Amino acid sequence: MVGREYDLVGNPLGAVRSTFEKAIEGQADPPLLIDGKDWGSTQLFRQFLIDQPSALSQIPILDRTSLPHLQPNTLVRYRGMIQDMLGNEFYVGVHKDAGGAWTTNKFTDVSHIPFGTLSENTRIWERRLLYCVPVPGQNIWAESYSESVASTRSNVTTLHGEKRPREDCADMDFQASDQDFQGSTSAKKMRENMHSPQLSRHEEYILEGSTPNSDMVPNFDIKSLSCLVKIYDTPESELKLNDVFEFVGILTFDPKLAAEDDTCDELCEDALVHLPPSKVPRLHCIVHRKLAIHDFLSASLTLEPKSSLVKGVRESLLGHLTSVLGNDDLAAQFMLLHLLSGVHTRVGLVAVGKLSLNLTCFSKETLTVFGNRIKVAIENLVPFTMCMPLTIDHLNSASLAPAKDYQTNRLVSGPLQLSDGTHLTVDETQLQTGTLNSVGVENLRLLKTLLESQKVDYDFKYYKMEMAADAQVLILSEGKSNILPADVALPFHPQSPGVSEYMDMEALKAWRCYLATFRSLQHSIDSDMQKIVEDDLVAARRSDRSLGSSDFSRLLTMARLVSMSFGETCLTIEHWQMVMELERLRRERSNQPK
Amino acid sequence: MASDSSPANIHDGPSSPEDDSMSSPIGNTFSSPGNPRRRTRRSTSSYATPPSRRSSRFATPEATPTPRANRRRRRSPDPISTPIAATPSSPEAPPSSEAGEFGNPDEAPPMFVWGTNISVQDVNAAILRFLRNFRGKGDASLEGKYMMAIHHVIEFEGESLEVDAHDVFDYDNDLYNKMVRYPLEVLAIFDIVLMDMVSRINPLFEKHIQARIFNLKTSTTMRNLNPSDIEKMVSLKGMIIRCSSIIPEIREAMFRCLVCGYFSEPIVVDRGRISEPTTCGKQECLAKNSMTLVHNRCRFADKQVVRLQETPDEIPDGGTPHTVSLLMHDKLVDAGKPGDRVEVTGIYRAMTVRIGSSQRTVKSLFKTYIDCLHLKKTDKSRMNPEDPMQVENGSSTNDEDVPNNYEDKVEQLKELSRQPDIYERLTKSLAPNIWELDDVKKGLLCQLFGGSALTLQSGASFRGDINILLVGDPGTSKSQLLTYIHKLSPRGIYTSGRGSSAVGLTAYVAKDPESGETVLESGALVLSDKGICCIDEFDKMSENARSMLHEVMEQQTVSIAKAGIIASLNARTSVLACANPSGSRYNPRLSVIDNIHLPPTLLSRFDLIYLILDKADEQTDRRLAKHIVGLHFEDPENSEQDVIDLPTLTAYVSYARKNIHPELSDEAAEELTRGYVEMRRRGNFPGSSKKVITATPRQIESLIRLSEALARIRFSELVEKRDVVEAFRLLEVAMQQSATDHATGTIDMDLITTGVSASERMRRESLVSLTRSIIMEKMQLGGPSIRPLELLEELKKQSSGAEYHLSDLRNALSTLASEGFVVVHGDSVKRV
Repeated sequence: MVGREYDLVGNPLGAVRSTFEKAIEGQADPPLLIDGKDWGSTQLFRQFLIDQPSALSQIPILDRTSLPHLQPNTLVRYRGMIQDMLGNEFYVGVHKDAGGAWTTNKFTDVSHIPFGTLSENTRIWERRLLYCVPVPGQNIWAESYSESVASTRSNVTTLHGEKRPREDCADMDFQASDQDFQGSTSAKKMRENMHSPQLSRHEEYILEGSTPNSDMVPNFDIKSLSCLVKIYDTPESELKLNDVFEFVGILTFDPKLAAEDDTCDELCEDALVHLPPSKVPRLHCIVHRKLAIHDFLSASLTLEPKSSLVKGVRESLLGHLTSVLGNDDLAAQFMLLHLLSGVHTRVGLVAVGKLSLNLTCFSKETLTVFGNRIKVAIENLVPFTMCMPLTIDHLNSASLAPAKDYQTNRLVSGPLQLSDGTHLTVDETQLQTGTLNSVGVENLRLLKTLLESQKVDYDFKYYKMEMAADAQVLILSEGKSNILPADVALPFHPQSPGVSEYMDMEALKAWRCYLATFRSLQHSIDSDMQKIVEDDLVAARRSDRSLGSSDFSRLLTMARLVSMSFGETCLTIEHWQMVMELERLRRERSNQPK
Repeated sequence: MASDSSPANIHDGPSSPEDDSMSSPIGNTFSSPGNPRRRTRRSTSSYATPPSRRSSRFATPEATPTPRANRRRRRSPDPISTPIAATPSSPEAPPSSEAGEFGNPDEAPPMFVWGTNISVQDVNAAILRFLRNFRGKGDASLEGKYMMAIHHVIEFEGESLEVDAHDVFDYDNDLYNKMVRYPLEVLAIFDIVLMDMVSRINPLFEKHIQARIFNLKTSTTMRNLNPSDIEKMVSLKGMIIRCSSIIPEIREAMFRCLVCGYFSEPIVVDRGRISEPTTCGKQECLAKNSMTLVHNRCRFADKQVVRLQETPDEIPDGGTPHTVSLLMHDKLVDAGKPGDRVEVTGIYRAMTVRIGSSQRTVKSLFKTYIDCLHLKKTDKSRMNPEDPMQVENGSSTNDEDVPNNYEDKVEQLKELSRQPDIYERLTKSLAPNIWELDDVKKGLLCQLFGGSALTLQSGASFRGDINILLVGDPGTSKSQLLTYIHKLSPRGIYTSGRGSSAVGLTAYVAKDPESGETVLESGALVLSDKGICCIDEFDKMSENARSMLHEVMEQQTVSIAKAGIIASLNARTSVLACANPSGSRYNPRLSVIDNIHLPPTLLSRFDLIYLILDKADEQTDRRLAKHIVGLHFEDPENSEQDVIDLPTLTAYVSYARKNIHPELSDEAAEELTRGYVEMRRRGNFPGSSKKVITATPRQIESLIRLSEALARIRFSELVEKRDVVEAFRLLEVAMQQSATDHATGTIDMDLITTGVSASERMRRESLVSLTRSIIMEKMQLGGPSIRPLELLEELKKQSSGAEYHLSDLRNALSTLASEGFVVVHGDSVKRV
């Protein structure tokens, strides 16, 4: 197709324009390209990314630190979760300039068409607006990884600047309205609380939450930079709310636009008023790619299913978890399964594949020792983690579910707006007796539905909209939690306080990779095995009539996960027996008096 | 057509607001779709304006002609945009034809809608024909439908004529297409024609009558609005989420000279702008820059910006709802409130966004909005349990017409109801992933449909709601059934009996001091008027809440005493409860009452009580195991059978509940009586003193409700004999499970009503008499006391075979004590 004569990274718009000119060359006036279809520019960029393995790393990442150094109208990439969809936008796609030549405005914000010539010399096209934020709960290692790609793999110096000190992050907020707050740190704190509740709550948890050795740095830096992504020529079904994407596109920033004093009237897209370009950069997306958890890991390790390597990694991870959990081997086994779980199918109301874990028997003492340790261990293993202390006050005041704000016409995020695969730790030990108001009841209901059917009701004021979720939920509680019914409840019996071991980076990488690889493994069962499983279930039920479908479901989910943890795609008898044994041990422990 | 229509659209779209200032971007001219001054490009001649100015939607009839220069300016920079088919009319001709022009269009040379080949005269004539001649189907009246409507409007001094687009389509397909494609132009002509007709009928009629089109053949979704829809007439459904306050919009300005006090002629707003006169109009004054606006002599019109959002059912998976702005004028202002579901017909418009008011560069963006022509409120939701009247009361527009697809849907449902096996199919479709329990499901189905409530003239009322109690072993998917019904039913409320405080929304988190378990005490027994209240763990409900239920289930009201006010609220709700046996498993030896520890008074209020026992049946276990294994490892799709999907089911239920009110046929009534007598008779054992009540009058009420529900399932207005037979069967199945006296194997309603079966009662009586005789025998009056254990020994000796417990004996003793025969003091019995 088109050669490499364009500087796609430095001057992408130039490439867009020249391909456009080429495409309409020799065409009648007006050219046929009036319907807004792509004329090959996207293909050009896509080809560029495919052809050169290092191409992606040449493109600077857009984030809080790099933003001041990036030139407008250059190619950048941005990783984030679609937090809100702001609908479609109509723009002048092509117009004929004074000289009678057709030019395109695709991938730009402004057109310099003289006033009053908006006639048949212009064509209106449409694009979609997506409001994206960094993935909630993203851990710093996952983030630093995505940057390190750029530095390790590329030999081209990117426009990355030095990491800036943290106070910069305070003006991450996009709400122009609270300009007055600028300056005072407490106000900044307040604003952080307001706009990124999940982050600040996370911090609070670390600060106040029974962590004596709070020299632990919050595991991720607040440098979230939200971005308004404009999507072209993409079917609606491809981009869904809460999906994580990497967008490659043109960063636009027009000082004239930034300085604009938006005396906007009521017809204006009010959502945009609250997102001034000076705070929220605009990205005209050319190529986008959906990201899986795997994309947040180092790709150095590929684990082939069934290999002996898998077994080794499994053993070492299990060992690590055991030591984290104070040599409670059973808890470690269940934790491993829990970390591998994820919804793989939905049948009616049932989400199959989830395995939420409820570790019970936490006391003040065990919590101080293990609570934080478990949290840190999980943060190190899973790219996206969230913590939620359950207190009456919190439940009564927080709005966990995302809610639509009709004043600004935006979806206000809540801690339960999570991308798929996020790990959520709920600390119920802090829950004291007290009265819940209607907000609290609603919040508990939300958590309960999340646990039971992996769905979150988004509040659209006039109605609720159910959004499918896929979060691994871990509950730490004193007794078995009746408020939040987990799939597995296991009394936690640490043998020894255990010592925090030195974290081997290589092993850590392998573990992360292991978890990311095998949680999405396809799995099946052959008919012979199916028969055995059925027989065992029937037999179990005969001996204990209280077993119900939920118990069966749990056993089968565990069977699948155990199998997957060995990298196997088919259930074997040994693994099934292992599941039955695990379950037997668990029951034994549950029935034990404290 | 798309190719030749788009230039016109695009030209017209952006051009209209181009001169607009940012402060009032929604000036009247853009939003008044019928303003033909700018819309109707009949020719390049400026003289084409006079007739059209009269019809301007918002300007007054005496509006001054728009200066020609304005229009010129719009067109001049663009040489290509000269009318393609325009034929310049002679400058003299039009002014004279003020009123008559459109009555006899042939006299004028053909004029065309700018940029198209639509002849103004043709359209004009077509509209006139339509208005004069259209008659509805089967309408044999002398005058056409719309002629009558026009007369009606004149009589009531109305401001608009509602025109059903379906009528237009039926009458003149071509006109309809033109109207949808070029609404601005065609509507302008429409208004002119209307004006003309009105002034002929009543020359003194001053008001403007506007055509409000509704009920388009096709309606789009908000999501599918795209650039090609700009300047087209569209119809879409949505929910109003926000209404701006009413904005007074200036239509006509009046200026006064500060020097001499001279009042200018009223100046009409042009494209959102008022050109303030620079000099005083009075010849003697002519002061420069002396004119000031006189507010209270200006004319204003109402305007409102309304935001419409997609309804939840149109939002695809993983998307968020789209929104669109609506512009409402005059009568449409405040026609809808936030939260209303409406169907809107209007013109999709776009206008440019400018950067700052002074800059000449525009953002390459457009704001889009819909100029609203017509607004109709639709059903609040498809499962609306309320009286349809309530919804329509506030609606200003057509109540009698129902949306098109609604009728289709009803037809589909009726089609469904005609299937012979509909009862079975519905049963199968109810919670398809729970198998068996078919009779329970049938009962639940009846509950969903409900009987008809009846209020006698005397004021006595009979409830139509069917209450069902499920009792059974844990793990028998009772809760699942409950959740399912909750999802399906209108205003379903799901609550757990555990710690429900009766009314209110607050809740209490309690902690078990022993185990540290936290328990949520939710107060979820909120009123679910005309819905189904699903109560899980009914047995764990507090005494307090239960007493509330007594009232709910029979009187259908809830009394709340708060802060000195006693309120009695309607709670016409069906109760679906499920309870676990008090021991972890159901003890078949004991009665239901003993098993679940519920007061008989409450139990008797349930129409159907099902025992769902987990029988140790390998077959069922295997099925369960197979099902769950399949769920986890197989493609879940293949398990789908011939079931009715949930939305259809909901629609079916709601339609039946709303529209079908079956009555008992004579035959059915007869069967009912016969069956009841038969049931009662079964309790009389010939030659035995034992009287077992097998049916109570409550049952007959239940039977009526059940048969009515069964008729409703078939969409039948008449309860037939087979419904009654099935109702008897359902009742009997339920009673056999719950009210069977296990000692005798017969149905005994006493089990439910008093908790004690007749055979048990007889056994107790014999025990009392036996004890009495023993005491008579063994003890003297005033003699030494005896311990109950000794008595028990004696009892066992005397009655060989029969098994007696100490508790039985104690019961007997207390009976004797109440007779004054003995005195029981602690652990000693004394004869007195």
